[in-house]
Amino acid sequence: MIAFGTAMVDPEAYRRYARPGIDRAAEPGSEIIALAALASVPRSLNLLLERAAGLDDLEALVIVDQDAEIGDPRFCAAVRGALADPDVAVAGPTGARGVTTVAWWDEEVISAPVVHRYEEHGGGEVEAFAWSRAGAPPAEVDALAGFLLVLSPWAVRELRFDESLHLGVGFDVDLCGRARAAGRKVVTARMPVVLHRPLELVEEHDLWIEAHVDAGEHWAGDDADWKARARRAEAERDAARARSYSATVMLDARVLPLERELDALTSTLSWRLTAPLRKLNARRRGG
Amino acid sequence: MIAFGTSITRPDVFRACALPGIRRAAEPDSEVYELEAREPIARSYNALLDRAAAREDLEALVLVHQDAELVDGDVCARVRAALADPEVGIAGSVGAIGVRSIAWWEGSVTLASFINRYEDHGGGDLVSFSWDAHDRPPYTQVGEVETLDGYVLAFSPWAVRNVRFDESLGAFHGYDFDYCLQVREAGRKVVTAELRAIHHRPLEMLPDPAEWVEAHMLVAEKWDGRMPGIGWAAGTWRERALRAEAERDAARAVGHSRALELAARTAQLERALTDARTSISWRITAPLRLLARAGRRPEPRPERPSFGPELTVGRAP
Repeated sequence: MIAFGTAMVDPEAYRRYARPGIDRAAEPGSEIIALAALASVPRSLNLLLERAAGLDDLEALVIVDQDAEIGDPRFCAAVRGALADPDVAVAGPTGARGVTTVAWWDEEVISAPVVHRYEEHGGGEVEAFAWSRAGAPPAEVDALAGFLLVLSPWAVRELRFDESLHLGVGFDVDLCGRARAAGRKVVTARMPVVLHRPLELVEEHDLWIEAHVDAGEHWAGDDADWKARARRAEAERDAARARSYSATVMLDARVLPLERELDALTSTLSWRLTAPLRKLNARRRGG
Repeated sequence: MIAFGTSITRPDVFRACALPGIRRAAEPDSEVYELEAREPIARSYNALLDRAAAREDLEALVLVHQDAELVDGDVCARVRAALADPEVGIAGSVGAIGVRSIAWWEGSVTLASFINRYEDHGGGDLVSFSWDAHDRPPYTQVGEVETLDGYVLAFSPWAVRNVRFDESLGAFHGYDFDYCLQVREAGRKVVTAELRAIHHRPLEMLPDPAEWVEAHMLVAEKWDGRMPGIGWAAGTWRERALRAEAERDAARAVGHSRALELAARTAQLERALTDARTSISWRITAPLRLLARAGRRPEPRPERPSFGPELTVGRAP
C-alpha cells in the first residue's frame, strides 16, 4: 500500500492543490494522512513518518507539500518503479547533484516535468527551476526537493528529519544526506507535478539567511579550508548581488515599454468610446 | 597639456562612443592616444601611462573606456580643478567610501555622474543619482573617496609617473580599485569630480562572473592587512564563509525570482496588447484613429518615469 501524507499550515491550499493530486494518484487501498503542521517543518514531517511507520503493508510514503499537485494518475506505478531497487531510500521528481548548501536549485538540477503555476500578474505558468535544469530522471542525485518526497519502508522506519533545524530550511537536503550516509540511494523519477507558488523563490530573506547559516553549521566538518571558502563565498555573494540588481533593472527596461504601449492603446478616444461594448462582450462570455 | 587615452578592442565602439567625447573635451594642444588593447587592461593602461609620462608638460592624463562618452566641453577645466590640490593623485566621476572589495557599489556611493545608455529591449537610459545637478540626494558629495570606477579616470602627473596598474589581477576587473588603493597607500588622495559621461553598455553588470569572482578574491588577498577594511568582515573565517554562502544563495534566489517576474509580467502585458488589438471594438474604430492621427500635431517626448530611488528609465534619443 502506498500512503500519502501532508502536514499543512493552510488547509485551503491543501484542498485546492495537494488533495486533488493525491486523489488523482491514490489507489483504492491508499492511506491518506492529513495533519495540521506542528511548530517546525521537521517535527511535522516526523509525525507523518511515525504515523506511516505503523502501517502494516506499507510500500511507500509519499510526502506532498500542500501546494504541490501530482499531475499523473499513473503516479503509483512510478513510485514502485523508483523503489524497485532495494537500495533506493528516497525518490522524488526533482533533485540535484553537487549540492553543498540548502540552495539545491543552484546546482545541477535533474527534474521530471514540474510546472510552476503562479497567480501574480494575471496568472500563468513556467517550467520550474529552468535556470539550472541539466537533465531528466531517472538519475541518482545528492538531494531531492522537499515539495514531494517518496520514502521507502526502510526510510520511513530508519530515517528522521533533523528537528534541530529549527527554521526548517534544508530539511530535504539533510534527510537525503542521512540516507546516503547510510549507504542508500536518492533518486529522481518521472513524477510530473504542478507547483502552485508565488514567483518569489525566497520570501523572508533575513530569516532564510539565518536558516541557511544554521543548516551550514549542522553540515560543516572541521577539515574545511575556511579562509578560502570565505573568500570565494564573499566574492560569489557580491557577484550574485550585482547580477540580481541587473535582473531588476532588465525587468524594468523590458516591461516599461510594453506598459507604455498598452497605456497608449487604451487611452485613445475610440477605446474609451467602445468600453461599454467590451463590458457587454465580457458579460456574454462569462455566461 | 592634458592628454586623453583609450585602450581599444572594438574600433567601431571607440569611434561611436569615446572619440566624440574626447573631441568635445580636448584642447588644441591635447594629445590623444588610441592604443590597440593588450590583455589584461592593466597592461594597456600601463602603456598609456608610459606614453604620457614622457611628456614634460603633462598636466593630466584622462583615460576613457572605449564605450564611455564625455559629455561636457569643459572637461579640461574640471580636471585642472580636481587636480589643483597637489595631494590628489587621481579623479573620477563615480566614487564611493566604506568600500571593502572590488564591488565598490556595495559601499556608500557619493557621486555617480553618468548615464548607462543601453540597447537591450529597444534601448533606453539609466540615469545615475547625481547626474542632474538640480535634483540630487543629500548624500551626494564631490571630494575625497576611497575608490573610483575605472570607466573615466583623470591622473595627476605624479600618478602617471609613479603608480602602475597591477597586471596580475586578471583580464579586466578590479584594476581601478587596486590602483586607487595604491594611490592612497602612497599617501595621495583619490577624489571625485564632475566628469560626466554616457556609458554605452548593456544592462548586465557582470557578463563574466567567474573572472570577476577571481579578481575579487585576488584583490582581497592582496590588500587584507595593508589597507583598513579591505578584505575584512566580522567573525571567524568559518562564520564568514557560512554567512557569505547564505547571502550569496539569497541574492541568487532574488535573481531567479526577478527573471520569473519578468517572464510573468511580459506575458501578461503581451496578452493584454494582443487582446486589445484583436478586439472587435478596436477593429471597428480603426478609421476613427486614422482620422485622429492625421489631424494630430507631433507629441512631446514623454518624461522619464522613475522606477527606483536612484534610477530612471527612458528611451534613447
